[in-house]
Amino acid sequence: MHKERIYKFVSHACLAMMLLTGCSSNLPPTSTTAVPVTPTTLSATAAARLLDQTTFGPTAAGIAQAQQQTITAYLNNQFAQPTTLLAPIPTTPLPAVCLASNTAYPCAESEWWSTAINGSDQLRQRVAFALSEMFVVSTQSILGQAIPQFHNALANDAFGNFRTIMQDVTLSPAMGGYLNVLNSAAPAAGQIANENYARENMQLFTIGLYQLNQDGTLQLDGNGNSIPSYTQAQVQAFARAYTGWTYANATGGSPAKFPNGTANFNYPMAPVESAHDTTAKILLNGMTLPAGGTAEQDLKGALDNIFNDSNVGPFVCQQLIQHLVTSTPSAGYVSRVAAVFANDGTGVRGNMQAVISAIITDQEARAGDTNSSYDGGHLREPILFLTAMIRGLGFTNTDVNGSYESLSNFSTNLNERPYRANSVFDFFPPNYVIPGTTLNAPEFAIENTATATLRESLADSIVNNKITSFTVDLSNTSTLGTMAASPTTLVNYLSMLLMHSQMPSNMQNVIVNTITPLSSNAQRVRVALYLIITSSQYKIIH
Amino acid sequence: MHMRRRSFIKYASLAAAGNLAGMRPFGALNALAAPPTSNATDYKALVCVFLFGGNDANNMVVPFDTKGYANYANLRADLALAQNTLLPLTPLPNFALHPSLPDVQTLFNTGNAAIIANVGTLTQPTTRTEYLAGSSVPTNLFSHPDQQLEWQNAAQDSTTATGWAGRVSDVLAGSYNTGATIPMITSVDGDTLFCNGISTTPVSVSPGNLGNANCSEGSECSARQTAAQSLITFNSGVSLITADDHISSNAYTYSSVLTAATASVTPIKTVFPANNGLAAQLKQVAEIIQVRAALGVQRQIFFCGIGNFDTHSDQLTLQANLLSGISPAISAFYAATQELGVTSNVTTFTMSDFARTFQPNSNTGSDHAWGSHHIVMGGAVKGGKMYGTFPTLALGGPDDSGSNGRWVPSTGSVQYAATLATWFGVPANQLATVFPNIGTFPTNNLGFI
Repeated sequence: MHKERIYKFVSHACLAMMLLTGCSSNLPPTSTTAVPVTPTTLSATAAARLLDQTTFGPTAAGIAQAQQQTITAYLNNQFAQPTTLLAPIPTTPLPAVCLASNTAYPCAESEWWSTAINGSDQLRQRVAFALSEMFVVSTQSILGQAIPQFHNALANDAFGNFRTIMQDVTLSPAMGGYLNVLNSAAPAAGQIANENYARENMQLFTIGLYQLNQDGTLQLDGNGNSIPSYTQAQVQAFARAYTGWTYANATGGSPAKFPNGTANFNYPMAPVESAHDTTAKILLNGMTLPAGGTAEQDLKGALDNIFNDSNVGPFVCQQLIQHLVTSTPSAGYVSRVAAVFANDGTGVRGNMQAVISAIITDQEARAGDTNSSYDGGHLREPILFLTAMIRGLGFTNTDVNGSYESLSNFSTNLNERPYRANSVFDFFPPNYVIPGTTLNAPEFAIENTATATLRESLADSIVNNKITSFTVDLSNTSTLGTMAASPTTLVNYLSMLLMHSQMPSNMQNVIVNTITPLSSNAQRVRVALYLIITSSQYKIIH
Repeated sequence: MHMRRRSFIKYASLAAAGNLAGMRPFGALNALAAPPTSNATDYKALVCVFLFGGNDANNMVVPFDTKGYANYANLRADLALAQNTLLPLTPLPNFALHPSLPDVQTLFNTGNAAIIANVGTLTQPTTRTEYLAGSSVPTNLFSHPDQQLEWQNAAQDSTTATGWAGRVSDVLAGSYNTGATIPMITSVDGDTLFCNGISTTPVSVSPGNLGNANCSEGSECSARQTAAQSLITFNSGVSLITADDHISSNAYTYSSVLTAATASVTPIKTVFPANNGLAAQLKQVAEIIQVRAALGVQRQIFFCGIGNFDTHSDQLTLQANLLSGISPAISAFYAATQELGVTSNVTTFTMSDFARTFQPNSNTGSDHAWGSHHIVMGGAVKGGKMYGTFPTLALGGPDDSGSNGRWVPSTGSVQYAATLATWFGVPANQLATVFPNIGTFPTNNLGFI
C-alpha cells in the first residue's frame, strides 16, 4: 500500500506552533498542496528529520527555529557550541545523587541524561553518544568516577580529528580499566602481554575483522574469500606496544612506581618506562616498531599505524551513519563519507566535522525529507526514545537533588543504560541482522517480543505522567489538552512534533477515530500519544 | 566483524509462507491445530546457559592427582587455585571443580551432571599438527562475537543465519508441538541467533515480566489496544517498519497467551536466590515449564545467558564471583524440576565463546583461547563421568594450537549439540539437516545422555 502524505497538515502545524512559539513568517502559507521548499530554508518535515538525526529529540520550538536556517547554517551553529561537561564525581563524600546507593555510577548516569536532554551542544552530545556506543566502556566493571573524563573527551573530540579520539580513548582511565591497558606490564617469563585492548581496538573500534573497500564492502582474495585484517601475532605485538601505562600522579605526570595504586580519574594514564616492553613489534602493513622504544613512542606508533589503515574510514563511517541516519546505507553513501574521512578536501585525514557534515547532508540522509516512504532509517533505541519523550513533551525534573538517574531504571528494562553495556560489544552489535531477513539493523538486537511489550508499558507510564522524578502537564487544560477539543488538530500537531509531519493518513484516521469518542480531552491526549509512540512508524526514525 | 551490505531479499521466508497477519509461519501453521495433549512423560526441554565472554574452563575443571595438579600449578602460576580449596569429584578422583561450584559438585557426585572435556568449534576433527599446517578451521577463532555465533549456529561460520535450536525446532515443531500456542523456543536473554531457524522465531520473555503491557486507561484499554494492533497492519513501504510490525504482532500474541496460561497457577515453592541474574532467568524458565500443558508444548528449548566472563585481569576474584552465582541458581533450578516432577525431562547445558589461555598474562588474567570444558545437568544425563578427552596441559604441547595454551578441541561443539538434539528427539536421518557438517566427525553421539 502506498503511504500518502498529509498535505493538509501544514496549516494545523502552523496554527499549533503559533500557540507555542509564534509562527515564523518563513512558514509556508496554508495550503492543501505540497510544501514548497526554498533553497535557503527547511520544510517542517526537513527540519524535524534533521533534528531527529542530530539531537536527542525534536521540540516544537526547535523545529520552528530550524526551519529558518539552511542545514549548513544549522550545522555550523552546532559545531560552534562549546562542550557541556559532565562534572567530576568525588570519591568521598559521594554527591547526594548517588550517596544512598554508595556507588558513583548513578551520578555519572544522572549527569549524562541531564546533559543529553538539556545541553545546547546537541549535535556534539549526540555524536559523543554514538562514539560511546563504538568505543564502549561500562560501569559494570569500572567505577562511575571514570565516566566524566571519558565522556568529556569524546564530546570535546567529536568535531576534531579521529586520531585524537583514538589517543584520548586509549589513554583514558576508563578504557584503561575496562580493556586493561591500565597496569598492563611487560610480560615476565611464563606470561604473555594482556591482549584485550590490542584485539578489541582493532576489531571493534577502528578496522574490523576483514579488509574493506572504501564503500564498506569486503575485499576478496583470488578465491573469493574475505581477507583478515590482522593476525594473532599482530594482536600480541600491539599488546606489547601498549604496556607500561598506569594511573597518573596527582598532577597528571608519571608516578614513581608501577602499578600506581592510587586511582586518578581526572587525567589520562601516564607511562612508567620500567614496565614497558621494549622488544620490537611488527604491526599492520609491514610496519615495525624498533626495539628500545618508549611507552609513549610505541603507543603513538601503534595508533598511527592503525589510523592510517585504509579500513578505518569505511569501518567507522558506516557505524556513524547507522547511529545517526540509517541502518542500511548504500555502498555509495558509505563510500562518499569515507572519502571525506580519507581527505576533507584540504588533505586532512580523519576530520570528524567534515565527516559529520558529509553524513548529515548526503542525499541519502535527506531523501526522506521529500519522500516519506523512502526505505531507510533506524530503530529508535530505548535511550533515544526516552530523551525524545522528555524533550518533545516537555517533562520537567522534580527530584530534590535534581537527579535524572531515574530514567536509567526505565531504559534498563529495555536493555540500555548509559555507559553500562553488558560488554564491549555495546547494547547491540553493528552487524546484527534481523532474523528471517537480510536487514542489517543494529538496534534490532534488543528489539524482541519481550522488549516490545516492555516499551508499551513504558509508553503507558510516559503518557500517564508516571516517570519518576519528572512531571508533565497533559491535563484537560494543558496546551495539548486544549488542542484535543479537535482530535484532528491534536493529531496533526503530534505528527509535526513526533513524526516529521509525515503521519500516514490511514494511521491518522485510526487515531482520530479512536480518540473522538473519548469525553476527556486529557484522555484523548494520552491515547493519541500512546498510539503514536508505540507505533512502528514512530519507533523507526526514518 | 562481518559487515553486511544493503539487503535485497527481504522477508523471503515470510513471503514464501503466505504470511498474512504479520506472524511467522509458526502462527499460521498452528492456528487451526488440535487442542493440546501434553503430558509429563512425553515432555522434554533443553535449557542452554550461555557464559558470555569466554569462561576460563581451565580453572573450572582442574587436575587433582598429585602429578597433574603440580603441572597445573606450575604453568598457571598466579592464576592457579590452591589444591585444598578445590571440590573433589567422588566418581572422578583425578579431577576437581572450582571452589565456587559446590552445587555442581553435588549434582556430579549424585550422577546428575557430566563434564564434557575440551569441546570447541571445529569444521572437522583437527589436531595441532593439522592446525599449524593450515587445515580448515572455523572463521575468526579467538573473536568473541564470531565464536559466540558459531557455538550457537553449529555451522562453524558466523555468517550462517540460523541457530541450531532454531533448526531443531524447524524439524520437530510439526511433530511434537502441533497444538502449541507459543513457539518451541523461549529466550529469557534476548533474541539470539541460537533461537532462530528458517521457519522458527522464539518468544522472548523478560524474567518476571512475561505478561501483557500495562494499561492505565481503564475501560478504554480495549479500544486503545484494538487501535494499536490495527496500526501494525498498515504497509509503510519502509523495511524496518515492516520488521518491527512483525515483532510487535508476535509480542501482542505471546504476551496474551502467557498471561492467560499463568493466570491461576500455584506459584513454585522452590526458593531461587535473590539478586542473581541467572537465577531470575531459570526461575522464569521453571514457571513456563510448569504451564507446559496449558501452552500445548511437548518440546521446549530455553536460552539463558550471563556475561562478564572475559577475565583479562583480576581473574581469580571475577570468576569466583561469577561461578558462585551460577552454582546456587543451577541448584534451585534442579530443585524446581524435582518439584515439578520433570527432572528426567529437562536437560541443562552450558555453552561459552571459548576457554582462555592456560598461560597467564601479565595482568592477573588470561586471554582468548579455543577448546573448553562444559557441564550438562539433569536426570537424563549419564552423570558422574567425564566425556571426551582432557587436553594435555603443556604449553606448545600436543593439544596447544600455539604456545600459550589455546587448546585445539578434541570434540566438536557440533557433536555436543547433536548429542543433545538426539536426546531431544531429532531422528538420525534428520541430524544432517540440522547439523550439516556432523558427518565429518567419527560419532554424532557422545553418549552422555
